[in-house]
Amino acid sequence: MSKALKKIFLLVIIVSMPCLVVAATVYETHTEFIDRAFSGTPPEPDVVWLSGARKSSVRDLLGHDYAALRLRYWCQSERSAWVLDEIGKELPITVGVVVERNYIKSLRVLTYRENRGGEVSTPAFTDQFNGVALTPDDSLDQTIDGITGATLSVRALSRLATVALYLHADSGCKNES
Amino acid sequence: MNRRKRRISTIRRLHRSLGAAAAVFILFMVISGMVINHSNGLGLDQRHVSQAFLLNWYGLGAPEHIRGFPVGDDWIIFAGSQLFLNDRQVSTVANGIGAVFNNHMLIAASNDELLLLDSSGQLIERQPWGPPEAGPIESIGLLADGTVVVKSTGQLWLADAELLGWQPAKETISELAWSTSKPAPQPLLQNITQQYRGEGLSVERLLLDFHSGRIFGPLGVFIYDLLALAVGFLSISGLVLWVRGKRNGKGNNGDR
Repeated sequence: MSKALKKIFLLVIIVSMPCLVVAATVYETHTEFIDRAFSGTPPEPDVVWLSGARKSSVRDLLGHDYAALRLRYWCQSERSAWVLDEIGKELPITVGVVVERNYIKSLRVLTYRENRGGEVSTPAFTDQFNGVALTPDDSLDQTIDGITGATLSVRALSRLATVALYLHADSGCKNES
Repeated sequence: MNRRKRRISTIRRLHRSLGAAAAVFILFMVISGMVINHSNGLGLDQRHVSQAFLLNWYGLGAPEHIRGFPVGDDWIIFAGSQLFLNDRQVSTVANGIGAVFNNHMLIAASNDELLLLDSSGQLIERQPWGPPEAGPIESIGLLADGTVVVKSTGQLWLADAELLGWQPAKETISELAWSTSKPAPQPLLQNITQQYRGEGLSVERLLLDFHSGRIFGPLGVFIYDLLALAVGFLSISGLVLWVRGKRNGKGNNGDR
C-alpha cells in the first residue's frame, strides 16, 4: 500500500471515531428533580418493594419485570415523586414522574441514553402527560401523540407513566409529611 | 444547433456513466432499507455481530478497564461500563470503585451511585449517591458488624441496615475493611471479555450505519450525500433526455 493510501485510510479512521461515541444526556439530576417536585423542601424518601401481587401488576403494565426489586419514592401532601427506568430501544431512559391525587402533575426525562428518539425529552412532548390519570383497566385516560422515529421511546414513557400512577395509588400516598 | 446536440450528448454520456455507477448504490439502499423496515420482525435488534474486524472497527475491543472485587465466594467485576456477578452481566455502571457483601446484599459502588444486588445478581436498587454535602465516592468498605461504610472527600458515611439512609461517622472507626481490587481468575476474565465484545453491536445498528453511511464516519455521510445528488441528477437528466427524445420523435414523424 502506498504511503498516500495509508495516510488516507488513517485519516478516514480518525475522522470516523467521533460518530461512534454515544453519550447519555442528563437533563436533570435526581436531586434537582426531587427539589423541584417539592419546591425545595423534599420529604424523607420511602421505599416500595416490588414483590408478590405488586410485582405481578407492574409486570402486566410494563410487559416485563421491572429492572429493580425496590423503588424509592417521596410523598408529601398527596403528592408523590418517582424516578423510574425503562428501556426504549436498547438503553434505559430515566424518567421523573410527579403524581398528585392520582393525576400526573409532571413527567420529565431525567437521562436519555439512546442515540435516536431524544425528541421525547422535550417539554412539548412530555407536557402531554400533565393531568393524565388511570382508567379502571389500568391504562392512561388520554391519548399520547406519538413521534415518528421515536415510537419505542414514546411507548416506554407511556408505560412508566402508567406504572407511576399505579404505584402512587398502591402506596397510599396521602397527607404524609 | 450543434451546440445543443453536444449538450444533449454530454447529458446522455453523464446519465449513462452515473446511472451505471449509482446502480449498485441504489440497489444496496433499496435492499438495506427494506431489511431495516422489518428489522424488529426479523429479530435483527436482538442478534449481535461477532466478527472481530467489525467489533474492532467500532472500537469494541476488550474493556479498557477491568477490575475484580472478591465478595464472599463470588466476584464482582467492573468491565468497562458493565457490571458482572461472576460471569453474568447484571447491570451497567461507570467508574466502579469497589464492592462488598454485608450478608444480606451485594453492594457495588461507583463514583456517583451504589448498586444493590441480591445474592443471585438481581438488581434491588440503583441508588444515586445522595448526601448533598458529600463529594464523589472514593471507596467502600465494611465494619465488623456488617455496616456498610463509604468514604467521600475524606468523610466516612455509615449506612443503615437496609441501606436507605446515610449518616456521617462522628467517631473514629476501627476494624474497617476496605474493598480492594484483586486479580480475578483468568478463565472468568476471558469469559467476561468475550461477552463484553459480543453484546456491543447489534446487526440492526450495523445495517443502519451502513444504510446512512455513518459506518465510514462523517466522510461516509458526505460520500452518500454525493451519491444521493447523483441519483437526483439521474432523475432530472432522464427527464430531459426523455422530453428531447419525444420531441425528436415528433419531428421525425413530421418529416416523414
